[in-house]
Amino acid sequence: MEKDFDQMNYYEILDIRPGATAVEIRSAYNAALQMYQPESLVSYSFFSREERKKILAQLEKAYSTLINEAQRIQYDHELNPRGIAGIIETDETAKKPVAIFDMNRQATNFAARKNHNAELKAKIAQSRIIADVIARQNIKGQDLKAIRNELGVTMEAIHQETKIRLDYLTYLEEDKIEKLPAAVFLKGFIRAYLKSLCIEPADDISTRYMNGLTPKN
Amino acid sequence: MAHIWPIGGGKGGSGKSFLASSMGRLLAKSGKKTLLIDLDLGAANLHTMVDVPYPEKCFSDFIARKVADLHDAVLPTPFPNLFLISGAHDSLDIANLPYEKKIKTLRAIAKLDYDYIVLDLGAGTAYNTLDFFLASRNGIFITTPEPTSIENVYRLMRAIYLRRIRHYFSANDFKALEKKVREHLGDDSFNKPENIVAVIRKEFPDKYALIRKDFSSFRFKLILNQLRKQDNTALGEQICKIIKKHLGIGVEFAGNIAYDEHVHDAICQRVCFLDRYPHTRAANDLRVLNRKMSNAFGEQLTLDYL
Ligand SMILES: Nc1ncnc2c1ncn2[C@@H]1O[C@H](COP(=O)(O)OP(=O)(O)OP(=O)(O)O)[C@@H](O)[C@H]1O
Ligand SMILES: [Mg+2]
Repeated sequence: MEKDFDQMNYYEILDIRPGATAVEIRSAYNAALQMYQPESLVSYSFFSREERKKILAQLEKAYSTLINEAQRIQYDHELNPRGIAGIIETDETAKKPVAIFDMNRQATNFAARKNHNAELKAKIAQSRIIADVIARQNIKGQDLKAIRNELGVTMEAIHQETKIRLDYLTYLEEDKIEKLPAAVFLKGFIRAYLKSLCIEPADDISTRYMNGLTPKN
Repeated sequence: MAHIWPIGGGKGGSGKSFLASSMGRLLAKSGKKTLLIDLDLGAANLHTMVDVPYPEKCFSDFIARKVADLHDAVLPTPFPNLFLISGAHDSLDIANLPYEKKIKTLRAIAKLDYDYIVLDLGAGTAYNTLDFFLASRNGIFITTPEPTSIENVYRLMRAIYLRRIRHYFSANDFKALEKKVREHLGDDSFNKPENIVAVIRKEFPDKYALIRKDFSSFRFKLILNQLRKQDNTALGEQICKIIKKHLGIGVEFAGNIAYDEHVHDAICQRVCFLDRYPHTRAANDLRVLNRKMSNAFGEQLTLDYL
């Protein structure tokens, strides 16, 4: 056994890749329920009552976290502070359970993303506008948008990468903070947004962004 | 060297003997010189399934040294290319086969000159049964889609896993390991090899690496037998998934065999099901399985631990 079940991350528990869509998450969850629920023939006698209860609770937690976009971003960040892309690139153990899925697709994704990231970094290094924004004490949605435009990345692409809903991204850039979920997730959003654009130090910048918000938000 | 297919599963008609005789028949028919060995001592009936109603010699003749060579205990069957070592007349139960005789048998099997050797192992988790199952890397598990049968096959899988792990430790080390497992995980934790492996991984990383390497070279297979229309056809795949995820061993799902009344009819008439009812779903399933399994082998004999 490579890893005990209770040490698996939510993606491993559900047997999905880190970038899985909501549809994939839901169907993985249903498939897992079919295997682990008490009436299941598949796992009959395999687990003790307590083990089964624990597994079902973990499954539930995994599902409810990943299916909620804001919670998922938060979780991804806890899992790997370098963001969703980081899970795929650096975490060896996260790769293993993914094996039953399309490894080739993941491999090409991986190579393509590496390329893409290198390009972004080169652009960032040459951009005065970006250097200027990063140096600023107060950072707002319009600054994020300026960076994104400077790098020529569409909002759709950020959505693909971060899994943050498109309307949330729009609100972020337009500073319509009141339309966004609670502040605890907001910081995760900003960080994921910056990470997807290879903007560093993402932690620091997102903190400055949060500090710049007026108390009523 | 012969390809060796040990067949193991739960008690009460999961279909071990039916599968052994059917695979034997199909291999022989495809021109392979094939030997069936009935190791379900004490409950042997494989001879009946291949139409050898009065076996004149049997396995115990070898154990009792009535014949010098295991080869002298081989009987022909009415089918060309298909041979049998019967387990009939054995008052001996497999569990009581003494250690030296078991080793002697395994060595003798390794020397036999056949293309395929199929072992019908009988039910249960006696050490001897486990050792015969582990004699090849191509062990086949068979179960029906009933909770009783599935319970048995899970128990067998765990027993086999544990048996193999055991070979990596001296008696003393194993005792020490047992103590550690109980300390870490509680008293009833030692029956579960996954618990033991979790502790080995932490406490004996080099042994853990060896065990992983060892198990990755096994090509265990699972067959679901007697599937009725209403049964879940994905059951086999799902069982393998559970095994992989929670036991950490790879078992490949080889396929389903449909339930068919004609199996009973053929056995009652003491004719070969495949010959008598070749156009049934179950016969087709058997042919597909045979083709699939003939194309996938691991290492044939693992006498390394003897
Ligand atoms: N695919 C099938 N369809 C219908 N009946 C089947 C099928 N496979 C097996 N059977 C029935 O199950 C009975 C038991 O099969 P078999 O003797 O092969 O089981 P076994 O696993 O060898 O049992 P034991 O542990 O008693 O040796 C057979 O007599 C047959 O009637
Ligand atoms: Mg039998």
